[in-house]
Amino acid sequence: MFARFSCIAVIALLASGCADTSPTLGSRYITYGDTKAVETVTNEFGSTDLQMIAESMTRSLAQSGVLRGRPVVQVYDVKNKTSEYIDTRDITNSIKTQLMKTGVARFTSDNNAMQSQIDQLKLQNQSGLYKKSTVAKTGNMIAAKYRIEGSISSIVKRSSDYKDVFYKFSLQLIDVESGLAEWMDEKEIRKTTER
Amino acid sequence: MDFKFITVVAIALLASGCASPQPPVPAPGSAASKVMVMGPQKYIVVEAMRVARENGFMIVDVQLSNSAEKNKTLYYRFAWLGAEGFPVAEEEVWKSQVLYASQNRFIQGIAPTPKAVDFRLELKTP
Repeated sequence: MFARFSCIAVIALLASGCADTSPTLGSRYITYGDTKAVETVTNEFGSTDLQMIAESMTRSLAQSGVLRGRPVVQVYDVKNKTSEYIDTRDITNSIKTQLMKTGVARFTSDNNAMQSQIDQLKLQNQSGLYKKSTVAKTGNMIAAKYRIEGSISSIVKRSSDYKDVFYKFSLQLIDVESGLAEWMDEKEIRKTTER
Repeated sequence: MDFKFITVVAIALLASGCASPQPPVPAPGSAASKVMVMGPQKYIVVEAMRVARENGFMIVDVQLSNSAEKNKTLYYRFAWLGAEGFPVAEEEVWKSQVLYASQNRFIQGIAPTPKAVDFRLELKTP
């Protein structure tokens, strides 16, 4: 009787006990992390720097009150004056995305995407491939009232014990007609590694 | 007798749940009710808060002080809430801030959208 009961218990345990209920597959050494965490893996330009710059610049510009009446803005590439490779397009894309979500501005094609816009208009109007009623007419693009441009620079200092990196990100909003800078802000970041 | 006594003590312990005394619940709308301290931290004190609205955006200034005799690093971020108490924007990135020994300093948060009417300040020390 006891042997039969034990046998049934063991079979039940084998059948149910070792089942993996976790919705994961693969190595337990790979995990998804918090995308908003402070990243200090190295002191090169990182995700936290990008996020802090975009957040700081967007909030400052949106709250400044310069962008009244949802003006049209054109975004220019941020100049990378550091010694590192930084995809500055990521910074401007984040700023643009966050400003769009805020709803304070509208955006025309960026300076580096303007050629694609022109090519598409030419294709629709000159190729004869499209039904006339669906073709986007030329001469109706909305011109930008403002342009946004900026730069990122760095000062790097090393000693036997320390590496210090100081980043400075500057962004300005310029009125296209007058050429006046209507808003400008900076974000400074210092990262130090002690060996 | 001994067994009965132990049983009574055990039941009393179970009933009280070995619970440590709960901190007082902050009054709704008070500065303390806006701060969410994550984990134990002894030295960083939230002193005062100023909430304003400029050009439609909520701006919060918070005065922090470090009561320790050495520098302390603090991580913080704001959560922006709508009228119903739910977030109106995605989570902010955590920011790192050094407070020097016995220093008082201000941190500022600007809401990402005019829809924000309330906030929470999340604080954490390493």
